[in-house]
Amino acid sequence: MTTTMTARRGPGEVVLTGAAVLSAFGRGMTALADGLDAGTPAFQPVERFDVTGRRVGVAAAMPGSPTLTDELVRVVDEACDEAKLSTAQRAGAPLFLALHGDPALARVAETDRRRHSSTAFTAALAGSTGLAGDLPLGAGLRAYTTACVAASTAVADAAAAIARGELDRVVVAGGYLVDADQFALFDAGRALSTDGQVRPFSDGRRGLLLGDGVGAVVVESATAARDRGAPVLARLAGWGRAGDAYHPCQPHPEGHGLARAVTAALQRAGIGAADVGYVNAHGSGTAQSDVAESAALHTALGEHAATVPVSSTKSLHGQALEASGVLELIVTLHALRTGRLPVNAGFLAADEHCDLNLVLDGFTAATPTYALTLNAAFGGANTALLVGSA
Amino acid sequence: MSGLLMDPAEQGLGAAELFVEDIPPLTALAARAGLDVVAAADWPEPGDEELPKLAGFVHSSFNPLVAATAGRCLQRRAESAPPAVTAIVLVTSLGDVASATHVAEAVDAGGRVGPLFFFQSVPNAVAGLVASRWRLTGPVVCVDSTDAGLTVARLLLADGDADEVLVILLEQAAAPEAITGTSHDTAAAVLVAERRTS
Repeated sequence: MTTTMTARRGPGEVVLTGAAVLSAFGRGMTALADGLDAGTPAFQPVERFDVTGRRVGVAAAMPGSPTLTDELVRVVDEACDEAKLSTAQRAGAPLFLALHGDPALARVAETDRRRHSSTAFTAALAGSTGLAGDLPLGAGLRAYTTACVAASTAVADAAAAIARGELDRVVVAGGYLVDADQFALFDAGRALSTDGQVRPFSDGRRGLLLGDGVGAVVVESATAARDRGAPVLARLAGWGRAGDAYHPCQPHPEGHGLARAVTAALQRAGIGAADVGYVNAHGSGTAQSDVAESAALHTALGEHAATVPVSSTKSLHGQALEASGVLELIVTLHALRTGRLPVNAGFLAADEHCDLNLVLDGFTAATPTYALTLNAAFGGANTALLVGSA
Repeated sequence: MSGLLMDPAEQGLGAAELFVEDIPPLTALAARAGLDVVAAADWPEPGDEELPKLAGFVHSSFNPLVAATAGRCLQRRAESAPPAVTAIVLVTSLGDVASATHVAEAVDAGGRVGPLFFFQSVPNAVAGLVASRWRLTGPVVCVDSTDAGLTVARLLLADGDADEVLVILLEQAAAPEAITGTSHDTAAAVLVAERRTS
C-alpha cells in the first residue's frame, strides 16, 4: 500500500446537536450570521495591545480584551444547552479542546508551569462546564495544539470514535483570541497582509490577518441523539486528514495532502464530487497556500471544481488559528441551514492559478445538501470535514 | 491507564496539578492499547551526549529533541518492510515553552521577535520537517497525553488514514519531582501498526 488508500469508518451516523460561537463580529450565532450576510470584513486597527513597531497593525478582533477561559465556558455551556444535554450526559461527555496553550504559560514562574499546561487548562474548562467528570482522566480530556488544524482534527477524531460506537458524544471546543505574542510572531514572519484586507484566491493578495474565534460543537451519534429526542443541526457525513510531507511550513504546491483529505471525506460520506454544493475553503490569502488549495480542489473534485461555489470566510472573520476549524465549521453550518453561502471578500481580480467559482459580490442563495470545510496548517497538515443538511 | 492521579494535597500543590508515578514505557502503553510496536527509540539512550542542533530551529531543545527521537525510531524500521502511509502524532502538554517564554519576554520589552520563532511557534513545523524527511504522508496531530495519542493512533489505523503511526512523547519523567516544567531533554517514540491477528 503506498499513497492510495480507501478511507474506512465505523457504521454509526454522526450528527451535530449543538453549536455556539464568538467571532470578531461579536458573541453568538446571530452576530456571526449578520456579519457573514453583510459581507463586510471585520478587520480594524488593533486596540487590544500595543502594535507600535509592527509592520501591520490590523486584525479582526472584538472590542475589548475578552478572556479565553470565560469565552470558552460561555460557548461550551451554550452548545450543551442547545443540545439539551442533561447534567449526567455532560458528565459522561469527553471534552476535546483546540488551543495554542494556556495563555498564561509563557509568563508564569518556571515552578508554576505544570499548572498551566494544556491538560490543566482543559481540565479546568471541563470542571467549569460539568463535562467529563465521570470519565477516567485520560479518556475524558484531550487538548489539540496542531496549529490551524487543531479544531478540525478534534472534530474528525470525535466523529471517528462515535462512528465506531466507542463514544456517544463529544464536546469539541476551540479558542483563539488575538494576542500580542502571536501577532508579533506573524508580523515578524511577514505572514500578515500589509493592505488591511485578506484576499483569498485573488490576484494581489498579500497574506493573512488574525481573527478572534471561539466555538464549541456537540458531536453526537445519530442514534443517541434520536433516542433522547435531541435536535439535529446537521450531519457530519465525512472527514479526512492527510499530510503533505513536503516542508516544515509550506504546503505542497499541488496540494497533495489536502486533495487526499477531501477524497477521504467524500469516500466516508459515500458521495461523489458533484454532490458537494459549497466549499468553505481554508483560503488563508497567502501566495502559496491559495494556489495549493486550488490545485487540491481540482484534483479531488475533478471538473466539479470549476463550478462548485467556493468562499474563504477568513476574508471576513480572519484567521483564528487553533480555533479556525470549529469557527469555520459553524460558518458552514450557517450556510447549509440558511441557504446563504458567504462571500469571498477582498477580491480584486482573478488569479489564473486559482481557477475557482468564487462567491463574489455578496452572499449567494443556494441550498446545498453537502458542504465541505477545509483547513490546512504548518507542517503540511490538512483536514476536510463534509457536512450534510439535517 | 497511564498512571495514578496523586492527591494534590499530599504534594502541597494546587488542584490543577496532575502527577503520574511509575509511568510504564511508551512501548508497554502502546501494546496495552492494542497496537504492534514496529520500532522504538528514546532520547537519550546510553552513549548520547549532546542533542544535535536542528537547522532552521533556534533557542530551545524542543524541536531538536522531536527530530532526533523521531529519526532514531524511523531508522529502526526494517528496510524490508513494505511502503506505508505513516501518520505523526506528537504528545506534549507544555509545548515548546522555552520558545514561548522567549517570545513573551521580547514582546513585553517592546522589542522585535526573531522571524524563526514564527515558524517554530507551533509543534507542526518540526512535525512537518520529520514528515518531509521521512515521507510521512499521513495525518499530523499534536495532543497532550499519551492516552490521547495512542487512541488517536489506533483510530487512524483502524480507519485507514495510515498504515503506521509515529507517536513521539515529550515530557517523559521518571518521578514526580522531575516534573518541573523546564525545557525538555527527554523523549520517547514508537512506530506502531495495527495488531496483526494470525
